[in-house]
Amino acid sequence: MFFQILFHVLTSSDLWQATLQFGALLLLPALGGVISERSGVVNIAMEGMMLTGAYVGVMSALATHNVLLGVLGAIIAGGLMALIHAIVSINFKADQTVSGIAINIAALGLTNYLLTIQTQGQGVPSLSGGLRLPLITWGPLAQIPFLGPVLFQQNIIFYVAILLVVGMHFLLFRTNIGLRIRAVGEQPQAADTAGVNVRLVRYLCVVSSGLLSGLAGAFLSLGIAGIFNPNMTAGRGFIALAAMIFGKYTPFGTAGACILFGLGEALSPRLQDTGISANILSTLPYVLTLIALVGLVGRTTAPAADGIPYEPASD
Amino acid sequence: MAVPTVQRRTATPASKLSLLLQQLNSSLGRPVIAVVLALLVGGIIIMVTTAGSILDRISATLAAYQYLFLGSFGNMQSISYTLVVATALIFTGLAVSTAYRAGLFNIGAAGQLTVGAITAGTIGLRFTEWPGWLLIPTMIIASALAGALYGGIVGFLKAWRGAHEVVTCIMLNWIAFYVADALVDGPFKAPNLSQQTLPLPPQATLPSVSNFYNQTLGTFLPQIPTPTVYTVDVSIFLALLALVIYWFITARTTFGYELRVIGQNVRAARYAGIPVKLNIIYAMALAGAFAGLAGSLRLMGQAPNQLIATSFALDSTGFDAIGVALLGRTTAPGVLISALLFGGLTQAGPNMQLFAHIPADLIYIMQALVLFSITIEFMPLIQRSGWFSRSRKEPLVPNIIGKTAPETIDDPAISIAEIGINGLNDGPGGDKPAATPSRQEE
Repeated sequence: MFFQILFHVLTSSDLWQATLQFGALLLLPALGGVISERSGVVNIAMEGMMLTGAYVGVMSALATHNVLLGVLGAIIAGGLMALIHAIVSINFKADQTVSGIAINIAALGLTNYLLTIQTQGQGVPSLSGGLRLPLITWGPLAQIPFLGPVLFQQNIIFYVAILLVVGMHFLLFRTNIGLRIRAVGEQPQAADTAGVNVRLVRYLCVVSSGLLSGLAGAFLSLGIAGIFNPNMTAGRGFIALAAMIFGKYTPFGTAGACILFGLGEALSPRLQDTGISANILSTLPYVLTLIALVGLVGRTTAPAADGIPYEPASD
Repeated sequence: MAVPTVQRRTATPASKLSLLLQQLNSSLGRPVIAVVLALLVGGIIIMVTTAGSILDRISATLAAYQYLFLGSFGNMQSISYTLVVATALIFTGLAVSTAYRAGLFNIGAAGQLTVGAITAGTIGLRFTEWPGWLLIPTMIIASALAGALYGGIVGFLKAWRGAHEVVTCIMLNWIAFYVADALVDGPFKAPNLSQQTLPLPPQATLPSVSNFYNQTLGTFLPQIPTPTVYTVDVSIFLALLALVIYWFITARTTFGYELRVIGQNVRAARYAGIPVKLNIIYAMALAGAFAGLAGSLRLMGQAPNQLIATSFALDSTGFDAIGVALLGRTTAPGVLISALLFGGLTQAGPNMQLFAHIPADLIYIMQALVLFSITIEFMPLIQRSGWFSRSRKEPLVPNIIGKTAPETIDDPAISIAEIGINGLNDGPGGDKPAATPSRQEE
């Protein structure tokens, strides 16, 4: 009985479509985490940046009646939150974990505060179709059984995310800029000596992580949900963080981890009929992460200078 | 000028007063600055987001803070509510502090609290026929042990595999929330109630302070007239006891000393022969025990004395505790004061929303501001010039003769640069270092 349902669920295109959708949603902030941590700045604030992006995305889409401006607003909002994290952790040399937590708390407070003020406590209405991010259907390709709906009928941001993974891998491992980013994250002293502007690189990387997380927020509110609810990210930024570590700080590894976590999220509501509590099934991604951390995939090593504020060689 | 730092510190005899001021500044100044800054920026946010003339906005801000104060410390009843919130915050604050002493960031207090509450709840709901004198201690001790185990997992994974405690804590938090929900909505669910358990048996609930007083000292001293109004329960005394225990452990035991060494310099601790891994596990277990107590004591002390599904994931106590610990600088008196402050704020937020029409979520923004200003190093920033300027180049050779270094040295030692960069060529090929150290991105 259980295996029958499981088999039925696992072979349905619906499950895999949802898996890839949730995976892409996690992938964007996770890639943000990759680039930020590769440059040596611990970033656990993706959750807050996503939430801010989701809120500003909906609000600016409603205000301008334009979904693209909504997405733009979300990206900028995420970037601004990241800029705070950058200033606080790069210039002020604050504890980056504490700063990240503060950003998360601030984002939760700010979005709820502004939501109450701007909508007089009513909350935003569900967005009409024109204000949502469109689903892209690839003509005849979408008609292919199974693969069609899974790969060729996804939200536009899904395809953006795929481009970003490849782009991020290329950037990090095939370009000079990527080399500099990694150098700054591993040996800032040496990078500085070689003429790399450590602070600038870190600033750009942290802000990029915010831009990506903001985009993920827009994907969530304007694409998947079509509404903004208080605290709607519901810990996804943290799962993205886990995916990044699970993926060993590489774009492709992270993408794999995101698909796994996406599967966890897509699977749990669909296995209700088996009689296993949905709550228990929801723990799957977290348990998987723990197992991964304990060593099924070997030890993950963070960039050597991750989390250490850079002190120029003076004094 | 030319003297090394060590001599500079001891040489000047007049520094006693300035040293005292410095100590005062570091132990008191920053928390006070943090709170003042949070109140100021919070006020600015209120002024920006309210309507009307500038005077209206100022009066809106003042009204908000007035209701915030009245709701937290304005009268005995609100103080009693504040103490309720503060009790849980003291325990969880200690959970974060204990770990922080060892250099660990325990954001798993929320999960440890959940596990503590679930364990105590299980025992209370299972052994309903036990007498109170047996049931209450069993529940309290079991919750501490469960929390210790849950925190210990984090410490163990950290010690054994080097797993980052922040990630394991987050994972364990969500696991605890979901398992709690599954239990409360499943095997423990009360018939005819949705997503909640039955209340604990009456002998397993803790009396309120006022009732307790009326029944003991109140028999020969004046009675508290309306004891049910004051909700704070006797677990506040246990929280104070926990503060004393924490102070004793950190200030008077070898374990506390070793934790401090580990927190400040792991390498030094290792060389000194301190069992770092074991101590990390112990520290996390102790932290978990504190957090577990927060969960069980609140369940036993505060009506409705039952477990409710989804309440743990929405409860911010475990996260507020981070602010409490950092604001209190991980000292026992500091944790007490900041728990009272945060407890008051959290508790009075709805009051402010109701009467001053300022959303209670302002409290979160202020908490974040407190965290920011606690963790930011102001002094080096003020001394430094130019935020975005290239980091000042000074010779890598220790500068003994005095600050005669030229302003900038723009030709870095190329050999060092190549060694540094070449060591990084672990990417899949193709990433050759720049031939000459250049500054293309500028």
